[in-house]
Amino acid sequence: MAYNKPIPRKGQHHEPFWEGAKQGKLMVPRCKDCGRVHWYPRLICPYCHSTNLGWTQASGEGTLYTFAVQHRAFGGWGEEAPYVTAYVDLLEGDRMMTVLRGVDPSRPQDIQIGSKVRVEFEKVDDDTFIPFWRVVEE
Amino acid sequence: MPVAHNLSRTAAIVGAAESNEIGFTPERGLRITSLQHHIEAIKNVCDYTGIPISDIDGIFSAGWSSELAEHLGLKPNYIDTTSVGGCSFQIHVHHALAAIAAGIIDVALVSHGEAGRSYRGQGGRGGGGRGEVSPGELATAAYGTFGAPSQYAHAMVRHMHEYGTTPEDFAHVAVVTRQWAMLNPRAVMFSKETDPNGGPITVEDVQNGPMIAWPMTISHCCLVCDHGGAVIVARPEIAHSLRSQPVWIAGAGESMSHSNIVEMVDFTATSAAQSSRIAYEMAGLGPQDMDMAMIYDSFTITAAITAEMLGLAPRGKGHTLWKEGHAAPGGDLPINTNGGGLSFNHSGMYGMQLLVEAYRQLSGTAEDGVNGIEGKQTSASTCVVNGTGGTLSTTGTLVLEAN
Repeated sequence: MAYNKPIPRKGQHHEPFWEGAKQGKLMVPRCKDCGRVHWYPRLICPYCHSTNLGWTQASGEGTLYTFAVQHRAFGGWGEEAPYVTAYVDLLEGDRMMTVLRGVDPSRPQDIQIGSKVRVEFEKVDDDTFIPFWRVVEE
Repeated sequence: MPVAHNLSRTAAIVGAAESNEIGFTPERGLRITSLQHHIEAIKNVCDYTGIPISDIDGIFSAGWSSELAEHLGLKPNYIDTTSVGGCSFQIHVHHALAAIAAGIIDVALVSHGEAGRSYRGQGGRGGGGRGEVSPGELATAAYGTFGAPSQYAHAMVRHMHEYGTTPEDFAHVAVVTRQWAMLNPRAVMFSKETDPNGGPITVEDVQNGPMIAWPMTISHCCLVCDHGGAVIVARPEIAHSLRSQPVWIAGAGESMSHSNIVEMVDFTATSAAQSSRIAYEMAGLGPQDMDMAMIYDSFTITAAITAEMLGLAPRGKGHTLWKEGHAAPGGDLPINTNGGGLSFNHSGMYGMQLLVEAYRQLSGTAEDGVNGIEGKQTSASTCVVNGTGGTLSTTGTLVLEAN
């Protein structure tokens, strides 16, 4: 089935993210001066204000910071509701949003904040892969 | 850094008013535009204070100021269109205070009109697409959230994790706020007559409602209504000359922690800690001096977290103000005495409703038979007002004092 959910438009300066995703790599912006990873991509480092920025491949590992179960959704997501949305803390620092895989939306009380999560990519088309995170065993 | 001139009490809110028909207006067969809500509220507040519209020399609104000034035939000396969500109006009062203290203007109009229900889903005014892609879109667009409830639920879950709170704890905010709405005939949820879902509710009612975004059922979420409101801020010489009671701006502060919630470091803390610290310092007062509070309640979690940020309760204990009855009618710290965004009226940007009610309480006009019946007027002479805008993003805090 064709991917029928919203896709982020591909903004300027974000090519490394999309190119990495095609190869199953999670590419994140990293300041070459202070060394800190930041998400989302910036034109200037939000920590040290250097413009000497690059990209680095993240480990694709993180922990669950918080979540919610979406019961009211529309379009392609409407067909999938209820589903779990979440924020994950990257091993390298900073935080990403996701729809969380590997959990039961009907049992939110069983979802553990702090759980280990790993990134995976879902194919939209040959040029577009979107990262999602999955709860994995310790 | 130079020490700022202390702006405390250098201006007052001298009147507040609303548009003529608010709430679920389409259900009453009405179709009122946002502009009409603005203009009615402006006319009403000028009639109330006795200030001619032509005396307004500063205009403050969330994106509407040039259109309003033109519509009113004004040529103002100060134009502010700060539009940072529902706290914009607390921030406008802060800016008006500064502009008056600086001697730039004498009479500031802060206005808001929003047909949030009548024109729901038809797009707001004053925004507009830019064609460019915000980098934040990459962080959120793919991940199935739809509007504010879908995001605020993440904050409630994190609060539950950190502090052991439960959805039932937050349901008390909705239950107590409904008790206040039942004292405000203009509240959507005043009674079964004003709305089939109106009248008293229990924690069980709140928890048994339709699930929107777990753990939030629909009664944890604010209404979507129509509303217009306006307040006038004026310098002391003018404030003392009017037939209306002045309510003094003892302190004001504003801040923000993020725009996109993906950048929020701690989902259980907002910039209200910073904006209120500034406001309390200006006022020379602290949370222990507040007789009541008007706290933006877009969701039950918003009110509970904000109460913690304002210093009214310890971290993790904000909900206890409602659960233990402090915030309720007759309680020792009344909160959201108009019935809140949860049960009175929430048009999209609710900060104006907070201002109008804070003015009414501190001017002793909260029980006028139209906007309040017996039991609504408190004895408060101080009130902390806090707006929250965006997605727990921006905050504006005012410390207000009765004359």
